[in-house]
Amino acid sequence: MAMAVDNTDSNLGFRYWCPVRRLFGPDAPFFASGNIERELLAKQVALDLSEDEKQQLMGDEENRGVYCPIVGCGAKLKSLEEFEDHYNARHTASCSVCSRVFPTSRLLSIHVSEAHDSFFQAKVTRGFPMYECLVEGCGTKLKNYKSRHQHLVDKHKFPASFEFLKKARPSKKRRQKSQRKQPHRTEEGSSAMQVGEETMDGLVSAVSKLSTSDSSPSSISFGRRHNRGLTFVPRAVQRERRPGSSPTGMER
Amino acid sequence: MRTKRLCRVGVSGESEVPLDSDMMIDEEQSILEAQTSSAVEELKLAVGYQGKGVTQKRVTALRELRRLLSRSEFPPVEATLKAGAIPLLVQCLSFGSPDEQLLEAAWCLTNVAAGKPEETKALLPALPLLVAHLGEKSSLPVAEQCAWALGNVAGEGEELRNVLISQGALPPLARMMLPNKGSTARTAAWALSNLIKGPDPRAATELIRTDGVLDAILRHLRKSDEELATEVAWVVVYLSALSSVATSMLVKSDLLQLLVDRLATSNSLQLLIPVLRSLGNLVAGDAQTTNVNVIAALIKCLKSEHRVLKKEAAWVLSNIAAGSVEHKQLIYSSQAVPVLLRLLSAAPFDIRKEVAYVVGNLCVAPAEGAGRPSLILDHLISLVQRGCLPGFIDLVRSADTEAARLGLQFMELVLRGMPNGEGPKLVEREDGIDAMERFQFHENEDLRNMANELIDRYFGEDYGLDE
Repeated sequence: MAMAVDNTDSNLGFRYWCPVRRLFGPDAPFFASGNIERELLAKQVALDLSEDEKQQLMGDEENRGVYCPIVGCGAKLKSLEEFEDHYNARHTASCSVCSRVFPTSRLLSIHVSEAHDSFFQAKVTRGFPMYECLVEGCGTKLKNYKSRHQHLVDKHKFPASFEFLKKARPSKKRRQKSQRKQPHRTEEGSSAMQVGEETMDGLVSAVSKLSTSDSSPSSISFGRRHNRGLTFVPRAVQRERRPGSSPTGMER
Repeated sequence: MRTKRLCRVGVSGESEVPLDSDMMIDEEQSILEAQTSSAVEELKLAVGYQGKGVTQKRVTALRELRRLLSRSEFPPVEATLKAGAIPLLVQCLSFGSPDEQLLEAAWCLTNVAAGKPEETKALLPALPLLVAHLGEKSSLPVAEQCAWALGNVAGEGEELRNVLISQGALPPLARMMLPNKGSTARTAAWALSNLIKGPDPRAATELIRTDGVLDAILRHLRKSDEELATEVAWVVVYLSALSSVATSMLVKSDLLQLLVDRLATSNSLQLLIPVLRSLGNLVAGDAQTTNVNVIAALIKCLKSEHRVLKKEAAWVLSNIAAGSVEHKQLIYSSQAVPVLLRLLSAAPFDIRKEVAYVVGNLCVAPAEGAGRPSLILDHLISLVQRGCLPGFIDLVRSADTEAARLGLQFMELVLRGMPNGEGPKLVEREDGIDAMERFQFHENEDLRNMANELIDRYFGEDYGLDE
């Protein structure tokens, strides 16, 4: 899906809302609850409902089992409500320094090391392999960002066209550095561990700031789900924390 | 889901009154099966018997079997089949047999056919006779009972439906639906609804083209009692869902107004469901079909306490709102909007999703060729000001892909369309950015891209810098 950079171009590839009539076949799942109701009202005792239909009876999609759609999670939840709870508990690990959100504590911790930890940087400069493979369970460590990227491509079939090292586009760069409504601008990774702005940017892209312009289907296995494609695309938006939200730690 | 119906009480009201007519048989399963086997044995003897009083013998034996099949909580269908009842029942259906015998045999077959798939299929040898006894020379109760049995067979599946159609079941059933009242018309309508439900549309098309059918449908929906109107409405559901020929004939008739009238005046959920759905199918099939009365009837359904009615009414409104600008204005200026907004924030998920379609469709003009459809700004602004945005952002958070996409699409409308750059602020205030961030690691590439594009475009470098 091509992404136009020109902001005046209305064709961003976005699927805009387009009013269309929706037709359903008579036995479509959409009509299942009405069909079930018909038989119940006709007092037919033996219904032989399919599993799907039983769930429809209990309240349509609210009670339908869902799989958590976060890449690598695979959790099966019994209802949308349960999904909400699950999501809030498991997929909202946020960085206390730069507010980026990660779907697992592991990725958050990788990010924190790579982006905000001077000791990490120090070891990198001395040649230790510090860049962990992002795929849980792999354990491989590489000496730099680029070779980690290569490892992900070679071993874990990340799409090669993903530009791990692509210079962040100006808008993102600015976004990373500015904080809304804050008189002083905190630099990304505010402490003295900055090695240099550019490296910082690279680091900030630590947990793979991938361009979404890549439309190739990916066949990376990530986490437990070895057959699921994944385009690993973290995008954090720099924004002011809302008052009342916890400023530290991983809770949101 | 089974769409077959067990016949527990006979079709003709004036049937004999057995001593234990109101009692359910409460025997243990093994005893029941033993009784069934011996009933079939008796039937075998009666069928083989040639002498005096043969009819009475047969009727008595049939009655015993019928009693077991209609008064037991779990009719012993398997035992009936195992004992070899089908060929005997087929013989009892032979031409020239007395009505009582035909009736009882058809009743037994009805309840055998109400069982599992293979049990229904066991009726294959009996089908031609059952169809034949639908004829106009048959007594009404006999024809009705045969129709019931055939309705169960048709309800089993496409294969059996095709068999019945090729055996000519449709015309006589259609004819049985023509009289103004009576349980025969109702049973025939129900059987037809099973027979034409496709997925092949040909049966539906054949039915609507049959002489007198369209007229009968209109008559029943106009004047008949709710039970009969209910089954006829289901016939209309399938006609309008499957056959474009039927839809165009129905749309040209008075049907729309009759459906609206029924929606307005009835409180029977049983009737309202198929009437509403028929209306929905007509609207979905023909873009011109609507007027203020239709909207009013749909509003009544939106306000109902029944979930199915709310959800399907919202669906119909969403299709109307997908039409011309005039149609959108019809809805927008009606009493529907406050109800829709309430539902969008508080109703169960499936209803909220349908309502989202209505609201979004109201805000976007009909697409003209390629390119992005334009906004209907005053609708959008008003609806957002009346608080519809949180409902959409909620949908973005759900695990349902379609709902999430709707939410993101509506957010795009807000971000793009709200004047004075208000859009991003509104979205942020309602935690929209937070909701979009969920898609960073979402496995659905479409949704990821959509969310990211919105964030990039509207919450990018310029956002919040010129305060």
